[in-house]
Amino acid sequence: MYSLIQLFVRHGGLITLVVAQVISLYLMTSQNSPQQEIARLSWSWYSNWILEWRNRWLDYFSLRDENIRLKMENARLRTQLTNLRATELLIRDTLRRQSSSDSLGKKLTRPEYVIIAARVVGNTLSGRNNWLILNRGSEDGVQPHSGVISRSGVVGVVRKVSRHFSLAMSVLHPQTKISAVIRGYPYYGSLYWDEKDPRYLTLADIPYHLPIRRGDTVEVSNYSLLFPEGHVAGIVDTAYRLPGSAFLYIRVQPTQSPASIRDVYIVVNRYADELNELSKAAQEKQ
Amino acid sequence: MKSSWLLPNLGRLLALLAIQGLVLSDISYNTAGYVSILVYPLFILLLPILTPVPIAVIAGFVAGVLVDIFTGTLGLHASTGAFSGYARALILDRFAPQGGYTGKEVIASPAYFGWQWFLSVSSIFFAVHLLWYFSMAYFTPAYFFNKILPQAALSWVSTMPIVVILIWLFYPKN
Repeated sequence: MYSLIQLFVRHGGLITLVVAQVISLYLMTSQNSPQQEIARLSWSWYSNWILEWRNRWLDYFSLRDENIRLKMENARLRTQLTNLRATELLIRDTLRRQSSSDSLGKKLTRPEYVIIAARVVGNTLSGRNNWLILNRGSEDGVQPHSGVISRSGVVGVVRKVSRHFSLAMSVLHPQTKISAVIRGYPYYGSLYWDEKDPRYLTLADIPYHLPIRRGDTVEVSNYSLLFPEGHVAGIVDTAYRLPGSAFLYIRVQPTQSPASIRDVYIVVNRYADELNELSKAAQEKQ
Repeated sequence: MKSSWLLPNLGRLLALLAIQGLVLSDISYNTAGYVSILVYPLFILLLPILTPVPIAVIAGFVAGVLVDIFTGTLGLHASTGAFSGYARALILDRFAPQGGYTGKEVIASPAYFGWQWFLSVSSIFFAVHLLWYFSMAYFTPAYFFNKILPQAALSWVSTMPIVVILIWLFYPKN
């Protein structure tokens, strides 16, 4: 109470003025139509301005959520696109065979891939066996032996899956082998890291007679169970015939640098187990 | 402050209200509100010089409400009167004689401070009053340069001679 009195003694004039102005403003805006109209318009203008600023700030703070939503949307579209590629080919195939089989189409147009957006939360580069940790796990639908790609290249292969995270072999892991082709040529080979220079991968088993040139695009072949066909993997850096060999040594610069990976997509092949079993059976029969 | 301050101030208020409401408001009407001669602020300026600021604000507010009742602009003169009550203290403080006001000079009149002092104080006081008045009348800063400022200037030029004549005629001492 004493401090209130002190406040009034010190700033009594100002306080009285503010009170008088508030009463006057109330009287003016309630009794005089010009001021009433201006006050109404001003209030509307200021409230719109405040609302606009509020929305701008909310938009700014919701960018992270928006980013996640876009990634999920992107994953969904990639799933559709990847499956559409397969579907298109199969439909064409089905049409050709329509006269001999009419039920084949339905079975062959089943979606093959599920693509899950993820973020790299751990990445090793300096060892012989390099790994990535991804922030998606079994709860999100990730399965072991799923490919990991980024927007610009291949990243690795999932080996172990926990509830919320996945452990993936990087392309800089000697066991990561990707079935790849050079765009425009029908021959496929194996893309892997030779454990020497982490800036380059090696594409093996490409016949020597192909006129491969520096700058040619290396992409995932249609025999890959882990990655969608046609996804770009790298650019040819050098290519030459190994002495006494029928194959080329091709040094490939990956289009996705293993050192700067952040946002990735996990490619789950829904029929991977089934296809692996068939492959194993085929190997046993040989 | 002596107890005899009430009657002269009350008389001054009523007389100025009568002049304002009955005579000068017609000028405002005839010029479509472009020129407003406001003399009632003299009541605020001529309050006892040692009047506490809150009392001056309240007195200005009350005088303004009474003028508003006359002119049908409730709140407009009340706001201006209250503001002038506050501005008066700042202006008087700025023009205080060396050693401050002692109470010997009862009101801010040329009878105590001379004409030069009074003209300086009243010029600023009325300029502030009229500027606030037109700002409140238009109620938006959009018209400041093309309406508020010219009308305030024109009204100030019209008001000041009337103020000087009134003071010269009545030469108030309390």
